Amino acid sequence: MAESRDIFIVCNNHEELGGLQRWAHHVGRLFTERGHRVHIIGITHAEEAYDYGRDLPYGLHTLHETPPPPRKGGRIREARRVAAQRQGAAKLSALFRTARPGGIVIAAQVWAMEWVALADTAGMAVIGMSHESYAATKGSSRFPRVQRYFADVDRLCVLTTEDADAWARAGMSNADVMPNPLHVTPTAFPDLTAPVVVGLGRLSFEKGQDMLLESWAKITERARTSPSPNRPPTWRLRLYGSGPEEEALRRKADELGVTVEMPGTTSDIQGALTNASIYALPSRSEGFPMGILEAMAYGLPVVAFDSAPGVRELITHEVDGILVTPGNVTEFAEGLERLMDDPDLRAKMGEAGRQSVQRFSADVVVDRWERLFSLVYR
Amino acid sequence: MTDVSVIVIVYNDADRLPTAVRSVLDQSHRDVECVIVNDASTDATAQVADSLVAANPHRVRVVHRKDNSGGCGQPRNDGIEVARGTYLMFLDSDDTLDRHACRNMVATAEQTGAELVSGCCWRVFPDKGEERAWYRGVYRDRAVYSSVRERPELLYDTLSTNKLYRRDFLDREGLRFVERLHYEDLLFSTQAYLAARKIAIIPHRVYNWMTYENAVTLSITNQRSEVRNFADRLQIFRRIDAVYARYGADDLKLRKDIKFLNHDLLLYIRGLRSRSTEYREAFVDLARDYMSSLDPRAFEEAHELQAIIGFMIMNGDIEGAVSAADYVPRKGAKPRLTAPLVEQDGRIYWSADHLDTEDGRRVLDVTDLGIHSLPLKSLNPGGSLTGIERTGATYRLTGDIVNPLGRIAADAKLTARLEIRDRSRKGRFFSVPASVTHTGGRIHWDADVRPQRDIRPLGFVDQSWGLRLRLTAGDEELIIRLFADHAMDDIALPVRPRLTRLAGDHLEAYVPENGEMSFRLVAHGRIARAFLTALRGFTSSGRGRRWWVGLLRSEKALRDVFTRRSTKMSVYNKVFVRLPIRRNTVVFESHLGKQYSDNPKYIYEELRKSGAKYTAIWSYAGSSAGYPKDAKLVRRGSWSYYLALARARYWVDNQGFPREAVKRPQTTYIQTWHGSAYKLMGVDAPETKRGTRAQRARLQEMVDRFDHFLVRTEQDAHTLVKGLGVRAELIRSGYPRNDALVNRGDATALRKKLKLTDGRKVVLYAPTFRTDDKGRPEKRLEMPFDLERFAHELGETHILLVRPHYLNTVVVPPSLSGTVRNVMDVDDVTSLLLLTDTLITDYSSIMFDYALLDRPMVFFAPDLDDYVRSRGAYFDLKEHAPGPVVAEPDELFAALRDLDRDTYAKQRRAFVERFGEYDQGTAAKQVVERFFTGNGNG
Repeated sequence: MAESRDIFIVCNNHEELGGLQRWAHHVGRLFTERGHRVHIIGITHAEEAYDYGRDLPYGLHTLHETPPPPRKGGRIREARRVAAQRQGAAKLSALFRTARPGGIVIAAQVWAMEWVALADTAGMAVIGMSHESYAATKGSSRFPRVQRYFADVDRLCVLTTEDADAWARAGMSNADVMPNPLHVTPTAFPDLTAPVVVGLGRLSFEKGQDMLLESWAKITERARTSPSPNRPPTWRLRLYGSGPEEEALRRKADELGVTVEMPGTTSDIQGALTNASIYALPSRSEGFPMGILEAMAYGLPVVAFDSAPGVRELITHEVDGILVTPGNVTEFAEGLERLMDDPDLRAKMGEAGRQSVQRFSADVVVDRWERLFSLVYR
Repeated sequence: MTDVSVIVIVYNDADRLPTAVRSVLDQSHRDVECVIVNDASTDATAQVADSLVAANPHRVRVVHRKDNSGGCGQPRNDGIEVARGTYLMFLDSDDTLDRHACRNMVATAEQTGAELVSGCCWRVFPDKGEERAWYRGVYRDRAVYSSVRERPELLYDTLSTNKLYRRDFLDREGLRFVERLHYEDLLFSTQAYLAARKIAIIPHRVYNWMTYENAVTLSITNQRSEVRNFADRLQIFRRIDAVYARYGADDLKLRKDIKFLNHDLLLYIRGLRSRSTEYREAFVDLARDYMSSLDPRAFEEAHELQAIIGFMIMNGDIEGAVSAADYVPRKGAKPRLTAPLVEQDGRIYWSADHLDTEDGRRVLDVTDLGIHSLPLKSLNPGGSLTGIERTGATYRLTGDIVNPLGRIAADAKLTARLEIRDRSRKGRFFSVPASVTHTGGRIHWDADVRPQRDIRPLGFVDQSWGLRLRLTAGDEELIIRLFADHAMDDIALPVRPRLTRLAGDHLEAYVPENGEMSFRLVAHGRIARAFLTALRGFTSSGRGRRWWVGLLRSEKALRDVFTRRSTKMSVYNKVFVRLPIRRNTVVFESHLGKQYSDNPKYIYEELRKSGAKYTAIWSYAGSSAGYPKDAKLVRRGSWSYYLALARARYWVDNQGFPREAVKRPQTTYIQTWHGSAYKLMGVDAPETKRGTRAQRARLQEMVDRFDHFLVRTEQDAHTLVKGLGVRAELIRSGYPRNDALVNRGDATALRKKLKLTDGRKVVLYAPTFRTDDKGRPEKRLEMPFDLERFAHELGETHILLVRPHYLNTVVVPPSLSGTVRNVMDVDDVTSLLLLTDTLITDYSSIMFDYALLDRPMVFFAPDLDDYVRSRGAYFDLKEHAPGPVVAEPDELFAALRDLDRDTYAKQRRAFVERFGEYDQGTAAKQVVERFFTGNGNG
């Protein structure tokens, strides 16, 4: 057993229902199970809090009861903002002072890092994180902030090797890799006979469900003009989730004349995945897609746009899924059709995925974290 | 046991040693020791090193050598002897380690079990404020290799310093640096690469290689000027060959031999021009001796020009080698053509000599470089200054220019100006007229300069000047930099700087290693000399240097701001758009200014024909040659271009004006577009479909500037218009460029110009735009069918015109010129189509235009399925094509032979009905009447 450490996970907030928060609570629990003392710290409260359960085995803290002022406006407002931020940072310093030697601060997001940078981290190791692909950061206002605030951290962890290498090339010589751990433990598996293509995720532009509908329209059209002998005509497309694009997607489906089931969000991931035979991920951008991680754990073959290193890291083309040139809806449709027409291929890829995803099992990933903790203290 | 020992070697570098050592002590990985090896320095190095030890007794140790070793090898070996670390690294006293170097390399070594870990070295130029990664190609992604043979490119990074070595690995292999030879790194790194059982690569920056400009003593590896140096290098290469032999690595030796020709030899050849005869002879002897041990395959596999250099050296032809080196592309300079070249039996050769052997003909055949068909403006022939003669206050400068293959035609009208240019400010020069004449295969020039009147430097900030000749031949312009040999060294032209005479009073000629004729501002007068000496003293002191470099940098920054696109855009959007609109002005542009062509051209010509009083402004990128004389010409991206755009009443173009240029409501934008669509466009295409919201919004913003959009068919409305998201009013006029096709216009002029008057049938091959795998335009189009075969099988009765998309090029050897012509530079496609009897295309929108002529077409589409799969198409080509769709050259030739039995007439009519119903021959007229001469409802 490795030495017990005080670990502080600092994120923008720890209350929202989002990928980052789910990750924070998950690793918080995993670290605790290894005997570490964990604190999860939010800079501020979420607009809408999700119930992550009671009697959590780790401490939860929030630095600002009301959101700190935003970074715009004149000198006076800026001075107020800085003052507020310093107060928050002082609270953070107080928490850090409770740590035994060997303490670890994980700044999980760059905005949260602004507070960590102001706080007193003397004698502790600071690990920064970016939970999205390099390309996604590069195309946003976060890029210069990541370069600035994470320049001096002991390690900057990103989700895949490809992303870490990109950050290293961009001048972050502290770039390192830390994947997200697998967070589901299946108790039942799909038999891959249900004629259902499933997708789970927020209904938003980035997630690309509009392109999936276009592909589905092509499949429907081809099934009408030249039906495949091996394929029952009853295949359905089912998209779980809600989000800003929901209405637009329904309209688009009508325009295209396709049928899509949109049952809303679900907490029963096992139910959603065991009643399907193919998982579709049409995202325009991704970090380390939880959806694929889950689907693989349940043994579903995946068709995905090759839109980010996180996708490539998880799926090996033609082994446990099919990767498609981003934006090419024809190819995406062909990928789905191949799996729809071939039960053996589904079984083969599904099984391959189930095995391969063990690279990201909780134990493996927490071991990596602990090795990293010792590295930064050498 | 310590994790890492960093061995810092130092010789007479007391100033910088502390910085190097600091970079070791500041490592994020703490378990690191520093071993300084002082190579018997004669300055304060020893004391500085001792005080570093005193300040960090547990982490820094020093070895003082008794006598100077004259290199890097011995001191490093001394360091290895006393080092205690599990791992070793080497650092030079003028360089630094990245803060995380040790952590990254140790972690990688432990995770992968590698014996050798190599990270990215960055070259840092503190004076210029620049830095760049060294061999980034090798260090793009992390990787683990169990042998260097899995990634032989690693061998190109020959530094020993950006690497971490397991100590027990060095001991096991008995690896130490060679002593008493320069370039010890090359041998050491080669041995290490070959001996290591596992090698890991990381893309992280680990090492900063500091390079100082104008350093008084050039560092050892920078002094290429000594023969001994070259001899050392060859000696090292021989030892490397022995290492390869020991490991049975013929493949790696071949690689090294190829690299020797491609890279190492080239470095020396470039400097040869300025060397003495003795040096050259000694050099050639050494080189030939070594090169006879190269693998003969290396000469075949080296780059084309480097193979010529190798061949020339082996044949003792230094001039030939140097001229080939001049034409090797290098960063920041266009390749210079200093060889006259010869044409023989339809092939182009680098030199008229050495053609008596088959070997010579093979190596010197440079037909594929396409120099014979390169546009004149890209030719860059070598020019030189050969004499300066003084008469009173006037200096007569004379020289000549190479005229390769007689490309500058004897009957072309020649005019020229000699320009003395400020080398640190692009676009600033003084000029005087020069006279030019054809003389014996070259072009002779001379010019009279009265320096005191003609050249007015400012002083201080403009120290360095160059010479060039701006030559106009017919309607083409060439800018030729002038080179010289050392005979010019002693000349000084008297000048009067504008700021003060204290800044200098003469421009003194000098020829740097690259041979380009240069002048620097110097003082001959006593007072100025004293002043400048004092100033130099000041600017070479630490603070003065910073101050001076800062001054120069801020001046450059100011100039950069002025010429930067964002500055122009900001002035455009804040100032220009508030100026009044100038009535009756039209800005025309075709293909982003690259051509005078297409729909905008035909609208312009119709406008001129109508006699309506409009000021027409044409935008050009690059050269303004060929643009109409009765229009105002503005260079795309210049201040006057943006001013014209801001104040124009009309914009007419076929692709898109700069995205950030907001269109004013008073301006009418007529977007003619440049072809109907076969492949998916805009948001229908995968590259936009997968893009972000912001990218889509940018496209929409650009397209929303259009007020009117020309279409040739209702099909356009469902494909192009929808895909691009056009919300402008559609003008259903057809394309102005196609009027002549519908009206069967006259192309006699072009027919004569291309000499297509012998009655043979004209076949035009016009494929679509091609990109390489990185999405850039493919520079050189590989012909998908054999031109020789065309000449052989159809040459009696047919002539083939090849026209790649305007962003691609193609080379046709002169031997085929009777049957195959490159018509790349004919901008006017309409005339070209008019004289074409048969069109071969693949997916180009030219198919829609040519169909209007109702003449045979063949669709040669070898990659139809891939093309459609990867980019998507609006319709099924096989179903609608008005001609055979073929994939194999055999089928293509069969189709061409079979054209007399024209069986596609019906399909052609159907195709035109479906894809061209608005092309009725009156498009230009309709547009001009609607907007420029009619009742003004535009």
